[in-house]
Amino acid sequence: MVEFSWAPRSPLEHALVTGAHGTRGIEAGVSLTEIRNFDLIQVMARRGKGAELAKAAKARFGVTAPDAPKAVQGKDATLIWSGPDQFFVLSAGGKHTLQTLVPALSGPASLSDQSHARVLISISGVKARAMLAKLSSIDLHVGAFLIGAAAATSMDHTSVTLWRGNDRPDGLAVFNLLVFATFAESLWHTLLDSAAEYGVAISHSEELA
Amino acid sequence: MAGAQTHRLGNGGLIDRSAPLNFRFDGKAFSGLQGDTLASALIANGVKLVGRSFKYHRPRGILTSGSEEPNALVELRTGARREPNTKATTAELYEGLEAASQNRWPSLRHDVMSVNQLFAPIFVAGFYYKTFMWPAKFWEAIYEPAIRRAAGLGRAAGVADPDHYDKAWAHCDVLIAGSGPAGLAAALAAGRSGARVILCEEDFVPSGRLLSDGGTIDGVPAAEWLPRTLAELAAMPDVRIMTRTTLFGVYDGGTYGAIERVNDHLPSPPEHQVRQRLWRIVAKRCVVAAGAIERPIVFAGNDTPGVMMASAMRTYVARYAATPAKRLALFTNNEDGWRTVETALGAGLQIAAVIDARADVSPAHRSLASKGGFPVLHGAVSGVDGGKDGVRKIAVSLTGGARAEVEADGLAVSGGWNPAVGLTSFHRGRPKWRDDIAAFVPDGAPPGMVAAGAANGDFGLGACLSQGFAAGAAAARDAGHNGTPGAAPVADDEAFSLTPLWHVAGKGKAFVDYQHDVTASDIELAQREGFESVEHLKRYTTLGMATDQGKTSNVAGLAIMAAVSGRSIPETGTTIYRPPYVPVAIGAFAGHHRDETFHATRLTPSHHWAVEQGAIFVDTGLWKRAQWYPRAGEKDWLESVTREVKAVRGGVGFCDVSTLGKIDVHGPDAGAFLDRVYINTFSNLAVGKARYGLMLREDGIVYDDGTTARLAEDHYFLTTTTAKAGLVMQHLEFCRQVLFPELDVQLTSVSDQWAQFSIAGPKTRDLLKEIVDPAEDLSNEGFPFMGAREVTLRGGLKARLFRISFSGEMAFEISVPARYGDALVRNLMLAGAPFGVTPYGTEALGVMRVEKGHIAGPELSGTTTAADLGLGKMMSTKKDYIGRVMAGREALIAPDRQVVVGIKPADKARRLRSGAHIIPKGQTPGPGNDQGYVTSVCFSPTSDRWIGLALVERGRERIGEIVHAHDPLRGEDYDVELCNPVFYDPDGGRQRG
Repeated sequence: MVEFSWAPRSPLEHALVTGAHGTRGIEAGVSLTEIRNFDLIQVMARRGKGAELAKAAKARFGVTAPDAPKAVQGKDATLIWSGPDQFFVLSAGGKHTLQTLVPALSGPASLSDQSHARVLISISGVKARAMLAKLSSIDLHVGAFLIGAAAATSMDHTSVTLWRGNDRPDGLAVFNLLVFATFAESLWHTLLDSAAEYGVAISHSEELA
Repeated sequence: MAGAQTHRLGNGGLIDRSAPLNFRFDGKAFSGLQGDTLASALIANGVKLVGRSFKYHRPRGILTSGSEEPNALVELRTGARREPNTKATTAELYEGLEAASQNRWPSLRHDVMSVNQLFAPIFVAGFYYKTFMWPAKFWEAIYEPAIRRAAGLGRAAGVADPDHYDKAWAHCDVLIAGSGPAGLAAALAAGRSGARVILCEEDFVPSGRLLSDGGTIDGVPAAEWLPRTLAELAAMPDVRIMTRTTLFGVYDGGTYGAIERVNDHLPSPPEHQVRQRLWRIVAKRCVVAAGAIERPIVFAGNDTPGVMMASAMRTYVARYAATPAKRLALFTNNEDGWRTVETALGAGLQIAAVIDARADVSPAHRSLASKGGFPVLHGAVSGVDGGKDGVRKIAVSLTGGARAEVEADGLAVSGGWNPAVGLTSFHRGRPKWRDDIAAFVPDGAPPGMVAAGAANGDFGLGACLSQGFAAGAAAARDAGHNGTPGAAPVADDEAFSLTPLWHVAGKGKAFVDYQHDVTASDIELAQREGFESVEHLKRYTTLGMATDQGKTSNVAGLAIMAAVSGRSIPETGTTIYRPPYVPVAIGAFAGHHRDETFHATRLTPSHHWAVEQGAIFVDTGLWKRAQWYPRAGEKDWLESVTREVKAVRGGVGFCDVSTLGKIDVHGPDAGAFLDRVYINTFSNLAVGKARYGLMLREDGIVYDDGTTARLAEDHYFLTTTTAKAGLVMQHLEFCRQVLFPELDVQLTSVSDQWAQFSIAGPKTRDLLKEIVDPAEDLSNEGFPFMGAREVTLRGGLKARLFRISFSGEMAFEISVPARYGDALVRNLMLAGAPFGVTPYGTEALGVMRVEKGHIAGPELSGTTTAADLGLGKMMSTKKDYIGRVMAGREALIAPDRQVVVGIKPADKARRLRSGAHIIPKGQTPGPGNDQGYVTSVCFSPTSDRWIGLALVERGRERIGEIVHAHDPLRGEDYDVELCNPVFYDPDGGRQRG
């Protein structure tokens, strides 16, 4: 009998080359980090059950689920608005998988696993905004796109979910990007093209911070 | 060091004498200085002749010092980077720059095409419409190519641009166009108020005409005020000054287009940098401080090299310390022109004379003339004696009728100033006439936009500063910023007294539009021939249609039209202003989207594995799909595809079908919802089963098809075709949100969540048994045809199995979360090795579906009904669904519709091609007897012949009939037999087995 290995492979496994890219000899202006292991569950309220879902979500995550384009940090999870009466639950370490969330939320909501349908990329660095300005029509100015701001938008004709996470320890802003998995390699090359002039530091992390 | 810069002043100017730059013009070596433009460097080297005109090949020099330049167009750079029609007046000089003059042969000085001047009488306005009319067929073959060779501007590089461009967004409260005194004052006021400001400056240094004209601001010279002001602005974190950036367009909702020439000032962009960047700027308010353009006066010989706008002349002297002439005359109709005389005298140049068209000259200027020892002539320039070496003598018609001659090697001309009304007029605002300056000023600007300073017709330095400041403060306030702007910078206003003068009668060509060689007499002719409206005038004469869009010519042209048609200038009106304000390279609009990155691509979970296998890929929408997997020794695609088909039919193969659209349909009303969007019923589908579904458009035509499985009472998993995945999702969302809001149903696209493979062939079960947990029952009883459920794989991974078949073989589709797709495909190869498992691509998939008579994209063509496709029986009569009513329309149920039928060639060896038309045998092909066409063909390894599907009138009633296939595209005609579209296993025993 053959032994089968079931190692997951990121859609960026091929394209992502750890290290420096673009202009060398300067401190990289843009850091791109792919986060490889995460659970992402789409939660959509059933008809007329928005309030009930909000209550159930509050009980489960300890925070009120966003009712506007925002990302809210809850207990072991980030809740990211994705439309009226719907949000994503982003978590790590198996804390909120489809199996564990169904009992808690499936009364008032429909749930779909999207953990493999997206790639998660974290973008930061002194030139992160300059680089993102080439891809996004969203105003990411420090006073306009605050920590926790989120947008369901497009980059390079590709649908993405963009939100601002907590600042890095050095005070620089962090932008998180969820992109459809089958588009990820294509968008990745566009990200590199847009960031190359600033110098890019590329890495990946197995776990969601 | 090449060239002596004979026309460079010993001191002054904003050029760096310690940084010489070598360059070549028409192959000749010159040297210039850092801070030069190509134009100023040529002037510093005494070069007067820089180009030949468009139609008459007349020698031309440099007319202006800015982006309005009509004459000094050159081919910049060489090879793939060669860029025609580059304005020497805005091209920054860099070390090693190479430029060439255009539109001349064999050389700029000896251009044989200048004989065109002798034929000038036939090149008048509208000559295209009047000449070369006969014989008509000569136009394309002879006349047009000859004219195109003789006329025209520069040559395109002819090869791909090696540089990259990108596009970016910017956002601000206050966008300011222009960094002259008005723009800087606006930025100060808005910035101090706390607004986010973007200031776009076309030039490579900010400050606009302050660099050339100076002045006193807040009691100090401009040269002192400027660094202070720029430093204050630079210290404001939310004020961004973008030099080398032209605001070129105004779009809806406060969106603006700007082009940044990021690296045009270098021989080639540094590694990883772009050449140019297209900006889309979203601004709450916009202040147009784009200044004004000095306008020429139309007189005979006004295009002689050495005739230059007065303001440009003082820019070259003051800013670049370059002297266009040693002995200079000025022709002006206003006070401002005299500033050139002041600048020239200050630089030690000789003034030959001032020709002033006005009745009076101020006492101050009179005394300047007597001190400088030059005459002031009241009158107008009526002719210029000179040629390719420049101006020699100037003929003057004095007021009162006498004539005079002035010896000079340069003539500065000032006919007044036209505010730059482009940006304010791009939303169809019509500028209004102001008599005191004899010029059009902005009116009806787009919402949120105001003009200030010279762009608003107020030319004085004091007015520019105060208006700009007020506009900046108001814009910031309107955008919600209430900080204190502080005090406005203060300066005096210069006098600007002008007596309009547009055209001086005289012998010889008097040019209105230099770039398109439109003369005053062309305009008079247009009027005589009835093309009096300005829009007709423009098209008939091509006035204002060149790359400069008539920046120096339009107003003079319509003033002449007004005079000859007996109307006022405002009655004559202006043509419509349209973006872009300056030419923008197409490359900038494309950005990174060229070649392979023209659009985004989507990769399947097995993509990189397929690359390792050497698969050939086909673009399917955005997807890259494996088309076939060639093996060593196979001579063509057909051999590979045939092998793949035989391997599946005789053993087992698999194909990545992850590209199908996949949608989770959740909720208590999910079944009811599907009943409404599909023609068949899904609410009665048992959990654990799948069903083929067909959906119609509202008009009764088939929209899409696919299988849908019921995974739980309130959860269906719906699949779409690859092509329609996004559209079906949109359609279903529309149905859910708009048509049936009462249903409790939720939709989620899970297309990217699942890696899905079709495993097909008689040995499918053998392969699956290797990879699926032994506890799973895959027997016909345990997992019947159209079954669907979750299974456990060896190693514990959960997968979904669907017993569905597109190939007609015993088949399953298996899906796993997408990140396991790569592992699954490798494990399928391992598990299937004992059975000779063969990966197959979309070609083999297509062959097997044609053999099986399954419809796909070519049959779901947007013109076919369910009955046309042979699926009429699926249309439920027990419920309503989208498209039901309209599908019953007379034409859609007519008995003579073209329906899907199989075809095979009468000559068994013959190849079929899709697209061939079907006509009755023995008839002459023509629209009258066209009975349909071939939609899909393949070589069927199973039948060992080419087979196909066709849409044929009454096709199902004509099985067995021999018809004629007519293929005019490939020049082929042959007979085919209509047959049952199911060529393979018509009973379906294999897929159920």
